Amino acid sequence: MTNAEQIREFTTQELKHALDTAQDLYIIDLRNRDEFANGQIEGRQPIPTINVPYFEVLETGETDDIAQIFADYAAKEWQSILPASAQILVVCAKGGTSALAAEGLQRLGYNALSLAGGTQAWGNFYDRKVVAQQGDLTIYQVMRPARGDLSYVLVSGGEAVVVDPNRHLEPYTDLLTAQKLRVAAVLDTHGHADHISGGRALADLTGSEYHLHPYDAIHPLDVLPATIAYEPLREGQTIRFGTSRLDVLHIPGHTLGNLAFLVDGTYLLSGDSIFIQSIARPDLGGRGDTWAPLHYRSLSRLVALPDQVVVLPGHFSVPAEANAEGTYAAELGRLKAENEGLQVVAKGEQAFVEYILASLPTFPPQYVEIKRVNAGLVTPDEEKASELELGRNICALSQAYGH
Amino acid sequence: MGDVSVKVTVNAVGLSCPLPVVRTKKAMDTIQSGEVLELLATDKGSLADVKAWTKNGGHELIGSEEADGVFKFYIKKA
Repeated sequence: MTNAEQIREFTTQELKHALDTAQDLYIIDLRNRDEFANGQIEGRQPIPTINVPYFEVLETGETDDIAQIFADYAAKEWQSILPASAQILVVCAKGGTSALAAEGLQRLGYNALSLAGGTQAWGNFYDRKVVAQQGDLTIYQVMRPARGDLSYVLVSGGEAVVVDPNRHLEPYTDLLTAQKLRVAAVLDTHGHADHISGGRALADLTGSEYHLHPYDAIHPLDVLPATIAYEPLREGQTIRFGTSRLDVLHIPGHTLGNLAFLVDGTYLLSGDSIFIQSIARPDLGGRGDTWAPLHYRSLSRLVALPDQVVVLPGHFSVPAEANAEGTYAAELGRLKAENEGLQVVAKGEQAFVEYILASLPTFPPQYVEIKRVNAGLVTPDEEKASELELGRNICALSQAYGH
Repeated sequence: MGDVSVKVTVNAVGLSCPLPVVRTKKAMDTIQSGEVLELLATDKGSLADVKAWTKNGGHELIGSEEADGVFKFYIKKA
């Protein structure tokens, strides 16, 4: 049979590096077509990718040597398209089948490796970069590249505030421990629909408080109160940490309890309101028509902030939104000129509401359940949690991305 | 699925990708058109693939059930 376990694999960290540095990659994705359509590996530059479900390849061979079936298939079907020099990355859901396929391609002399842990491991991979530094304040952007989730660790004078942590806590605790930081507060900008929040758990682990706007402690569709404990945040509240301050802005629209945080008057953690290329959708609570006008008023308030304010969003939709440093940040003045959604804000409420209701992407059905999880109404096991979080978030309007 | 006459059973309990599909395909080659294969599997991820494989081959998934984490698929050969 095979000795796939002895062959070196491509790690998720190596994949992130390759995507960031526009390394010459060629991806063969062996997942079924639905899973591929729900989220493929993307870089800031387009990566040549083919999707052939592994079971279609297996259909073509009769041997027990699965790697050889892939080798025979590749020799016949892929010889003319596979580049001889590029790094070929073979991916599947968990990394088992792709290891066999990579072995088959190696037998043909290709520089092929399997992605360790598959797209499941990639979906749970996090990266961290310093996105801003001013005086005592350092802001780390914690990214989950496969999902487009952005979260933040704000550090000042030995104290930290963590904003929108995802459910895997190590990306945050690693930093907090390494720098011996005391956690002043854990905050969620809103009750998330696309990913499971790590806020409550991180607060428990670090002995701090978990904060949320009380409106988002009610599940909007079930109309049931959250069972998790939280400290209520309110408009105008200030949280101090080290020598820095965080001011709370209530900006209902994406959710009723939606918040943005202005840090040291300069950095706007916009959560799900203003993204880099687009703006948040107002319909995930099931009330797009009545929430869109609220969203307009909230966005109008945010765009009235000084142009020099740096927007640090809660999501990206495509990696091409990153800047040269590989982070997701932009001055508000630039976004007012370039962000499609914000340009419509300038046209007034009626034009905005019409635009937004015409731009709503599909409503992922699992988002209702994720909101239940975040309210503590249901508790999924790891497999279920992973399944709920599959694919890229769909929290932004679709027009900017040509969907 | 008590009223279905199962011709062959594939036990893929504890096996992960690609083995549930590989074993199913092999067993399918041993039965005749119209006969039913029963697949027992625990790897949830493989099941969507088994479904797509079944459809691709023109076979029919005539039923599925779950008990204690074991999924049972009944596939009628084309």
